[in-house]
Amino acid sequence: MDVDIALFASLSDLHMPGVPGGRTRTYSLADGTTIADVIGMLDLPDQPRIIFVDGRHAEESAELLDGQRLAIFPPVAGG
Amino acid sequence: MKYLLRVDMSNLTVTKEDVPEAWVRYGGRALTSAVVFKEVPPTADPLGPDNVLVFAPGTLGGTTTPNGGRLSVGAKSPLTGGIKESNSGGQAAHALGRIGIAGVIVTGKPADSDALYMLTIEADGSTKIDRVDQWKGAGNYAVADAIKGMRPADDRYATITNGPAGEAGMKAAGIAISDMKGYPNRFAGRGGLGAVMGSKGLKAIVISDKGLSYTEHADKEAFNAAMRRFSSALKEHPVSGQGLPTYGTNILTNILSEAGGLPTRNFSTGSFEGAEATSGERQREVTLERGGNVQHGCHTGCVIQCSRYWVDKDGHYKTKGPEYETVWSFGADCGIDDLDDIAELDRTCGDMGIDTIETGAAMAVYMDSGKLAFGDGKGALVALKSIFAGGEPGRVLGDGAEAVGKAFGVSRIPVVKHQALPAYDPRSVMGIGVTYATSTMGADHTAGYAVATNILKVGGDVDPLKPEGQVELSRNLQIATAMLDSLGFCIFVAFPVLDIPDAFTAIHDMAEAHTGQPWDVDGLMQLGKEVLVFERLFNERAGMTADDDRLPEFFKTDELPPHNIVFEVTDAEMDTLYDFVPETAKGMGIS
Repeated sequence: MDVDIALFASLSDLHMPGVPGGRTRTYSLADGTTIADVIGMLDLPDQPRIIFVDGRHAEESAELLDGQRLAIFPPVAGG
Repeated sequence: MKYLLRVDMSNLTVTKEDVPEAWVRYGGRALTSAVVFKEVPPTADPLGPDNVLVFAPGTLGGTTTPNGGRLSVGAKSPLTGGIKESNSGGQAAHALGRIGIAGVIVTGKPADSDALYMLTIEADGSTKIDRVDQWKGAGNYAVADAIKGMRPADDRYATITNGPAGEAGMKAAGIAISDMKGYPNRFAGRGGLGAVMGSKGLKAIVISDKGLSYTEHADKEAFNAAMRRFSSALKEHPVSGQGLPTYGTNILTNILSEAGGLPTRNFSTGSFEGAEATSGERQREVTLERGGNVQHGCHTGCVIQCSRYWVDKDGHYKTKGPEYETVWSFGADCGIDDLDDIAELDRTCGDMGIDTIETGAAMAVYMDSGKLAFGDGKGALVALKSIFAGGEPGRVLGDGAEAVGKAFGVSRIPVVKHQALPAYDPRSVMGIGVTYATSTMGADHTAGYAVATNILKVGGDVDPLKPEGQVELSRNLQIATAMLDSLGFCIFVAFPVLDIPDAFTAIHDMAEAHTGQPWDVDGLMQLGKEVLVFERLFNERAGMTADDDRLPEFFKTDELPPHNIVFEVTDAEMDTLYDFVPETAKGMGIS
């Protein structure tokens, strides 16, 4: 399945080499891949994260589906 | 002992007063709201002689408190018709605090309505009022330069200045406060307080704190111990210690767009295709490429350091930030995806002395009328300059989003209590919708920043797309914010305070060690409640009712893409938010 993955702020440069694109890149993943699997695959730093799937907050245990958009932020705020 | 400085613009006199005994715990917003409540007839003309304009550092202003140098500016608002506290960074609060001034209360109105004056407060507490008619119509940057030329070369001072929008009595006019480099780029922007300053003929205030050290504490050792704990918490929390210093406030553009909560093209959708081009990440890259500064404080003693300077393509200073709210108002809300265009609009607003949130929102409403295309950044600049240059939309743009909507027949006008909504759509961030609707300030994100818990997972987790829990969240945040505003804190300290219990305890300990009076944790929250009592009762007496605590109808009827959702918190539930007011007021003896 294909999933768009977007990484932001301090995570911006942590896409896998060889996967083309900018902030948002399309990854071919095995069915049943969870968000936690993606975090491991990308070797994201061990810190709190803000995670959206298709614009809604998601847990790391959630399985991804074909065509979804996964966005991962480090802790950020402003105003 | 700190004192009040009363400036009577009718007689051009300045007198010192003791702080009333009942107000000894009041600084910042608590003091400005107490003064307005006590001294301003609720139905007074905001631009008449009976309004007052109050400038107050927080209780901890003038001390070494980390992020404790914010300034509260209060009056009856010509925009909302209710009480207003507009909060700003910059150097003025610390300067006032170091001199020993708890607040400056400006009253009356000069007999000569064409006269302009400058109030100077020297480091020894002496004052004078000078006529500065030659500055009529001058922008904030020109006035700041003129003041610099008048001061001794080795002086250390802060400025509070009013641009031409304030002189002209525009309802979106703000008041500029100088930053650490002397740029007049920090703003008490919201609610038209520049118009109040203009009505009093006051063009500028200069406050020198040359040679003055930080204010002494009742218990220096205890204060310093608490201060170190608080500072550590600010540095330890990932938001205040890493995210904000690295990317600034505009780090929010991408995340709000991702969450479907970034109001785009006058609140018609919640995601902006130009978010990446206007994001904090992109802003940092461009600023660094051009040699701009990407990390400094808006006032001395700031640990978080989320300010930055935007420079043009030749590397010359243009403006601060731009901050997230401005990037949103002139960016996504107007459909503009060019940071240079947004920075030019920000600079122009800054020089005119006009609120970027209100004016950007007003510009988006104007675009919604079909008179100017969404996304036309160059056209937006021409439209902005039409406020003084003439043409459309002209002066009405300076009176805010509602005025523009009425003038050009737009049905979708995003205001509460006549003040424009900031950069979060209440349909997909329902907690902030409750704050917008119920705040004593009109639509104001800073009054109770539920975005933190709805979107950013700070201070817990309340689903932004559901109505449950939003009223309680907003109530607690509004009370806590009123407390922080009164002590003089930047509201960004709330991020670590919400997550690190000892940070809150450290605030208590600093307040106690500085004032030498016993405080308790409940007492801190009681302070926040008392502030809201002053404000709520003032607004009620000014004629506001439950009908004023409502979002515009379209937020309840028009579904917002991409979540296709409407605002669902009920009126009945929102009407319980201020249930604590009667009992608290009774305890204050003002029911």
